[in-house]
Amino acid sequence: MRRILLAGAAVLATATAGTAEVKLGSLGGVTGPIAEIVALLMEGRELAARHVNEQGGLFADGQQLTLVVGDSACDPKAAVDAATKLVNVDQVVAIVGPNCSGATLAAAQSVTIPAGVVILSESATSPAITALDDKDLVFRAAPSDAYQGIALANYILGQGVKTVALTNANDDYNAGLAAEFAKAFEAAGGKIAAHQVHEPNKANYRAEVATLGGAKADALVVFAYYGSSGIAIIRNALETGAYSKFFGADGMVNDELVNQLGVDALKDAAFTTPGADDSTGAFKAYMELAKDLKQPLGPYVPNAYDATFLLALAIEKAGSADRSKIAAALREVATPPGEVILPGEWAKAKALIAEGKDINYEGATGSLDFDAAGDVPGTYTLNTVTPDGKFAAKLLK
Amino acid sequence: MWEFVNFYLIPGLVLGCIYALGALGITLTFGILRFANFAHGEVMMLGTYLALTMVWLFGLHPLLAALPAMALTALLMLGLDRAFFRPFRSAPTIISVIASFGLMLMIRSAVQVIWGTQPRPILPGVQRPQAWLDGAILLAPKHVWILLATLAIMAAIHLLLTRTRIGKAMRAVADSPELARLTGIPVETVIRATWVVAAATAVAAGVMLAIDTQVETMMGFKMLLPMFAAAILGGIGRPFGAVAGGLVIGVAEELSAYPWLGTAPLLNPAYKSGIAFAIMVAMLVWRPSGLFRGRVL
Amino acid sequence: MDQFYGYGIYAISLLTVGGMYAILTLGLNLQWGFAGLFNAGIAGFFAVGAYVTAILTKPEAPEHLGGYGLPMAPAIAVAMLVAAAIAWAIGRICIRLRSDYLAIATIGIAEILRLILKNETWATNGPRGISSIPRAFEYLPDPWDKLAFMALVLVTVLVIYLALEKAWRSPWGRVMTAIRDSEDAARAAGKDVESFRLQAFVLGSALMALGGAYYGQYTKYFGPDSSDPASVTFLVWVMLIAGGSANNRGAVLGAFLLWTIWSGTQIVTGWLPREISLFGVAIPDVPVRAAYLRIFLIGLVLQVVLQRYSKGILPETRPAVLGRRITRGPEPGRQG
Repeated sequence: MRRILLAGAAVLATATAGTAEVKLGSLGGVTGPIAEIVALLMEGRELAARHVNEQGGLFADGQQLTLVVGDSACDPKAAVDAATKLVNVDQVVAIVGPNCSGATLAAAQSVTIPAGVVILSESATSPAITALDDKDLVFRAAPSDAYQGIALANYILGQGVKTVALTNANDDYNAGLAAEFAKAFEAAGGKIAAHQVHEPNKANYRAEVATLGGAKADALVVFAYYGSSGIAIIRNALETGAYSKFFGADGMVNDELVNQLGVDALKDAAFTTPGADDSTGAFKAYMELAKDLKQPLGPYVPNAYDATFLLALAIEKAGSADRSKIAAALREVATPPGEVILPGEWAKAKALIAEGKDINYEGATGSLDFDAAGDVPGTYTLNTVTPDGKFAAKLLK
Repeated sequence: MWEFVNFYLIPGLVLGCIYALGALGITLTFGILRFANFAHGEVMMLGTYLALTMVWLFGLHPLLAALPAMALTALLMLGLDRAFFRPFRSAPTIISVIASFGLMLMIRSAVQVIWGTQPRPILPGVQRPQAWLDGAILLAPKHVWILLATLAIMAAIHLLLTRTRIGKAMRAVADSPELARLTGIPVETVIRATWVVAAATAVAAGVMLAIDTQVETMMGFKMLLPMFAAAILGGIGRPFGAVAGGLVIGVAEELSAYPWLGTAPLLNPAYKSGIAFAIMVAMLVWRPSGLFRGRVL
Repeated sequence: MDQFYGYGIYAISLLTVGGMYAILTLGLNLQWGFAGLFNAGIAGFFAVGAYVTAILTKPEAPEHLGGYGLPMAPAIAVAMLVAAAIAWAIGRICIRLRSDYLAIATIGIAEILRLILKNETWATNGPRGISSIPRAFEYLPDPWDKLAFMALVLVTVLVIYLALEKAWRSPWGRVMTAIRDSEDAARAAGKDVESFRLQAFVLGSALMALGGAYYGQYTKYFGPDSSDPASVTFLVWVMLIAGGSANNRGAVLGAFLLWTIWSGTQIVTGWLPREISLFGVAIPDVPVRAAYLRIFLIGLVLQVVLQRYSKGILPETRPAVLGRRITRGPEPGRQG
């Protein structure tokens, strides 16, 4: 036992020895129910940190930006524990993440708000986060569900589809999104012929699909994570011939969907994701930089890149690793006025900050202009599957 | 009428077959080693990833790839038994249960490190169902395979348990370990045979589940409790009870969502996974020996 | 300075969370160590405790039941009573089941409970959970709020520990272990076996609800993901068995030790570089893989502890009988 303790102390000593680095917490559900999604978006975070470090690092002396990974496991208990360690033991300047809304609410209220640490989540979309009394310390790089529900409802109605069947996975994210969508769709004159909540991680959904199919609607709207139930629902709907037209949101956008179901099956499918507009320069810049990632446009991968890059800009702007200055600096670098900075343009941004000029980061996922609650406005992209099996993104107007 | 068969009964039977194959291993290990093996689901998942690797490497059909995967997993299982279960043969049950829990964590995280967490298809694409009996019954080819393969495996297990020396010894140990030991049955050999059968059937169940859905690292854990329920429903130590239990639970889960009264599902499908547990608890309370008079430990 | 202050805050969090787990392990020890009841439904009682306390103490919210604004102490008392009532109902029908069967029955019932809490959205806000749960002493300035909450948890652990120690040495505790070790002998001695078991089950479950009530306050948010069986039920079992069942000190030690391992291993994996080159092969995404590896290591540590200390680090000791201590007799559980 004593030997273990001594070894632990030795590791502790070497790891905390002062090196020229700035630690940014990288909190996410690495294990747990959405591990497959988090593994992809962690790559987005790492890519942003790499760009910072390759182009001169932070501050005048070029300190390295280090991401310290904490596992929030999509479990509020684990999120609180991991956030406590990042804030107190690792002494991170700010935190990117966590991913799930429940984990975010717990970590923010229990740890980061009292400690005065900024968190910027790229994927927690619950409207409850807007209402949080957060002392301006909780930010998001993904718009609240409320906006996405409206955007998708309007798009579907615009396609001439007036009656839909709706199903959602019974988790915080998808249940919230479904509620916001149903409200918006019915308010705009659409009809929800059937609404079926399903438990994720079941082997098949044929009974659910039969009930939904009995409603004889024009299309099926699926809010789910692709891995835990989304693919299975669409597969069962196609197999039973209940539906062939599908709509959904960001939890579904993944190459695995096309791999498993094939291009033909998805020719009448469309999914919204938070604002990646492929006509903007920022989007093109990101796609060029991210082409080595497994899935540059996987759910929240561009958001993860933007969130990490923005926090790095905010630290640079603040001029030191001082936690208390990050929130204000974050607002300055993300919003106009200022010279526009695109993804990957770290050296340019660093030079401008050094000259004392204002900058305004425009990310792959949109302008990222935070409002008073720390939310970003909802611009949304529509993702469809092209005949060669890739997702094509188009901005929703 | 046909909608009932096509959308509720047949999916229930397919699911039931998968539960049945998984429950088979649980009931045998529970009956012979006398502890609830929480790692059973992860063994099933590990074997399915091995089968997936065979599909990738050699382009085999998933059902063919299952055979080498079954052999490999059985070998691995013997090693795991030696390392993690054998030291506790005479210790209290709870120690073995906790050891199986530790093994569950280890297998799952090892698979996540090696293969990653992305779900993978073992049989890509959508199989549209074919019409049988003048279009009344819709059945996808893969479901026919699953039903037939389950029948074949059941027949093989039946022959093993009734016609071979080792199979008879397994049944004897399940009935009464003390008596079996007294009559000179080599209990350690029987235990090894049990692990081989349990691992092989678990992999078969995993591959079939993967054919119907996909391969992912949580697939074992989410099947674990229904499989336990099936084993208990059938009676511990009763292989055919486990099969019947699996079918009953699979069908009951699906039928609970049928609109028996009016047009709404009888039970909100979000509660579907509660069905297996409710049947299991009711069975334990009112007839703990299960449908087929298994052991009451 | 900041660094040492940070270590201090982390130490407080370790003791607070360890203390909450100690409440759970003591509750389980009452059920398993005293009475030999294999309860695998800890997560269900934990969730009931957290939800009831949260709903009773929170100001009114449109998303879920609430607006009772009860003070902390009576709310927790009600939560424990609700859990006790549920445990009593479960116990009435399940208590005569032995070991593994009771385990499987309770696991099933706990999952049904969790499904209800997840689906009855009008009461619990369903999958979106309950946010802004008031925490005791949170009005104090930092770090006194954390210290005071830790003190509350640790004092609770101490009180429960002392009460259980007293019970362990009392005639009641002896009847309990007698039933555990030989049900027939106890029955023959004229003891109402079912009633004693039910008492242990109900009291232990109420303690689990208390643990949940504190945990909900600590995380200030509670949702369906908060009572995942892997991080509640199984972890608590591991803590009890590793620490030493039927030994209250062992239960408390197991909780603090295992929680420190569970939480502390992450600090080490968080320091790993992004990419490691092993035998010339570059392994990318090391921190992400390390998170899985950490779970692997926890499983391995558990196996080592089990094989080295199969009776727990602090094994059971019988209360002094005729002036000497004797070690425990036949093991419960494995009834051929």
